[in-house]
Amino acid sequence: MFEWMVWTLPTALVFVGLALLLAGMAVWARISPPVARRGFLRIETDRGDRLYIGLISAAVVLTVWIAVTDLSMWLALACALLTALVIGRWG
Amino acid sequence: MTGKGAEELAPAGATVAGGQVAGEILTGDVLAGAAREAPGEQDASRADSRTKNNRAWFLVLPVVVSVAFTAVIPLMTVVNFSVQDIFSPTDRIFVGLDWFRSVTRDPEIRAALLRTLLFSAQVLLLEIPLGVALAVSMPRRGAGVSVALVLVALPLLIPWNVVGTIWQIFARGDIGLGGWTINNVLGVNFNYTLDSTDAWITVLLMDVWHWTPLVALLAYAGLRSIPEPYFQAAQIDGASAWATFRHIQLPRLRGVLTIAILLRFMDSFMIYTEPFVVTGGGPGNATSFLSILLSKIAVGQFDLGPAGAFSLLYFLIVQIVSYVFFTVLTRTGR
Repeated sequence: MFEWMVWTLPTALVFVGLALLLAGMAVWARISPPVARRGFLRIETDRGDRLYIGLISAAVVLTVWIAVTDLSMWLALACALLTALVIGRWG
Repeated sequence: MTGKGAEELAPAGATVAGGQVAGEILTGDVLAGAAREAPGEQDASRADSRTKNNRAWFLVLPVVVSVAFTAVIPLMTVVNFSVQDIFSPTDRIFVGLDWFRSVTRDPEIRAALLRTLLFSAQVLLLEIPLGVALAVSMPRRGAGVSVALVLVALPLLIPWNVVGTIWQIFARGDIGLGGWTINNVLGVNFNYTLDSTDAWITVLLMDVWHWTPLVALLAYAGLRSIPEPYFQAAQIDGASAWATFRHIQLPRLRGVLTIAILLRFMDSFMIYTEPFVVTGGGPGNATSFLSILLSKIAVGQFDLGPAGAFSLLYFLIVQIVSYVFFTVLTRTGR
């Protein structure tokens, strides 16, 4: 049925991870509702906003990395996750 | 977003501890409506009413299904394309991030990206001020209103490819009215099929001609919603026309201009049909914007892997610019 979508294991894992992340955020929001606040981004964000900004920033880090350097992409992934984490925590 | 949903629920007496996903505001409205229409269940305003009314979530289902079919599933497929070299559904090789590496380092694609960004910037710089100026100078009452609205809206009624055909002929030096006039009356050598600057100007003018009316109509609607006493007060204070515009009209246009800038950015960043019809991306690759290059790779050469990686990066840029515009224009001044 989904053969035409030409799935691979890594992309499937990425999407499962994203789905789990969204589900987790939903459960977290039910347990303790998010509160909007202002961090170093200087705009009012709640944790969902920061997750979105963090994921987009991580994608930018990966893209710039692959565009300019041949260094390992695992290092890039570490930098991207760090970026997302910093934005999520202090953004 | 979650905060809003909760606020809308509050008047109905329901207590919902925060929402979860997009589309939740809709559900909030539905729940509020349902609670209002059920006067017999006054004591249902305790916490347990939440579980009963949760069936309203099913009303969001059609949206979820249609978005899944039109956006999410195709996007997932594109992601799958972007990490493989595909010869047929059964004959394919996993290549990791190789396509992303080659796409981001391709000088042709980089040039097209810069070209498209420049085009979008020029489109916004020309169309937004022009549209606002047009809207301000349109009549506010009398028979002139209908005449002006119809005249301004005319270009919007013409399909993209027809706009391209019109300009392709209009700008020709031999038989086109515009091109002939420039060449023979103004005495300027103008040929959009040979000169890349002329081709660029033709495509840019065409976009301005086609889409400034949209900005003008949006701005006009925004101007019409300003109550008359504001202008009377300005008149009493002896404010000049410029001061009235700067301090009354422009601030009140923030909302519609947000929409206008977003729409015009996204439209010009994905512009395809008109340059395809007029110049086909040429001369050379002077007007081959991202979308034209992308469709050449995806449909012309059928290179699904590079095209997938390309379109994901394209999508990322659109996401970033739209989010930044939206945030800057809606959250400043708060």
